[in-house]
Amino acid sequence: MKIADCGSTWTKILDLDSGALEIVTTKELVRRKDALYDVATGHCGRGRCKEYRNELIALAEGGLALVGDEDFSLVDVGGRDIKFVRFKGRKVEKLDWNLACGSTTGATLELLGGYYDIDFSALSPSDRWVNVTCGVFGMERVLEQISLGTSPEESIAMFLHGLVRNVIDFVGRPAHFYLSGGFCENPCFVRTAKRYSSVSPLGRTVLLEGLKKVLE
Amino acid sequence: MPSRFFHQSRRSSRRGNPVHRYIRMKEHSTDRVVGYFGFPRRRILREARERFGSALPLVDLDVDLGAGDSLVLPATTCRIIANIVDNAVHLGPRLAAVVASVGEEKCDRGRHAAYLLARMGFTVIESRFPAEELEDRPLVYARARLPLREKIDRIMATVVDPAAPAQGPVSCSPTHGFWGVPPHDPRILDLFPETTHVYGWVRCVEAGRPSDVELECLVDEGVPTVFFTQSFCAKQDLAHHLAEKHRGLAIDCHREINDSILAKVEAFVRLS
Repeated sequence: MKIADCGSTWTKILDLDSGALEIVTTKELVRRKDALYDVATGHCGRGRCKEYRNELIALAEGGLALVGDEDFSLVDVGGRDIKFVRFKGRKVEKLDWNLACGSTTGATLELLGGYYDIDFSALSPSDRWVNVTCGVFGMERVLEQISLGTSPEESIAMFLHGLVRNVIDFVGRPAHFYLSGGFCENPCFVRTAKRYSSVSPLGRTVLLEGLKKVLE
Repeated sequence: MPSRFFHQSRRSSRRGNPVHRYIRMKEHSTDRVVGYFGFPRRRILREARERFGSALPLVDLDVDLGAGDSLVLPATTCRIIANIVDNAVHLGPRLAAVVASVGEEKCDRGRHAAYLLARMGFTVIESRFPAEELEDRPLVYARARLPLREKIDRIMATVVDPAAPAQGPVSCSPTHGFWGVPPHDPRILDLFPETTHVYGWVRCVEAGRPSDVELECLVDEGVPTVFFTQSFCAKQDLAHHLAEKHRGLAIDCHREINDSILAKVEAFVRLS
């Protein structure tokens, strides 16, 4: 049985029989004619599975499977949106899903990084930030910084800092939160977030854990 | 598509004349109608019908009736206000008059829509709900065990005919709450269980108190509630405040509901 989290920019596929995890770009997934999974979630999962599951529910279930705390906040920062669940006594106390303002920011960062050949593993955090009202406005700020003589690396770190501030505000500025999604592998994002809160990255497969839980 | 082509409800007023919240725009192409929007004073609505023809159907212009974009208003306009203007332009000469709710019970943009329609040649009768006319009607539907879409339709029909039904629906304790105005795309309502109570402006309508902000902001503590507004509506201020205060979910939507919004509400209803 194969389960998949088909996000806007990255797709995570888990073979439950072998335990093999495959992570591919969604641009590759959409060209695979035979991409059909038993159970899937994510923006691009609908229509590529026998059974579709709500991604916010998958995130919540995945958080409960991976975290033993009674009270905790969990946020998934994706390519086009931000999903957030806060638990109290392991019951959902608040959830939200930023679908419009601030959306596409993850994908925008990848586009900018690709254009300017940024190595995110080596990118240093910036003390400064630009307002990332949405991906397009944020990109305009980056281009403006570069036109003013700021290096592409510093400009993109400022964009990333603005994105971090959006995320922290969105989840209600908690003292600590768990992070899900591709940004767990972006040290500049994690180090920048630690200026504001204690952060525990959970990796890119939280929603897959949630799907497993739902299947039990 | 949402209700615009398929959902048709017709309810008779006490005078026996049809009241349309949903009509097919291409039906009755020669029939004239009286349009209204918001919650006009019933006396003004009644007088308008007497003046323009008691037999003319009433049409709620707030609702998506399938009219095309009239391009009168900016794209960043609340869809309810855009519906009012688009529907009026589409109905054109069929529209005998527009009874326009322009007081505190509506909004600035509703008042502006009435102003623009009048300048475009429509006969516009303005209505402002005075404080002394606020009522305290029993909440028959807001607390009823009924499908949410039907519940809201029935409440909005009380704008024209507030008579209580001979046998009302059964009331229930709330498992969930829906706060706000009737959505442009009612599919979002189908996600809620029948035990969802209605709050916000729709509840104010049923109570006969459409400009009562205190009642509009009243929700039952501990009931997981979705605070719904159309995008670009000033009620987003209240929705944001109330969602934070009551740990609810604030949703705003422009035009049709998309899959992501449906998924967000589905998750909230299921996990709360």
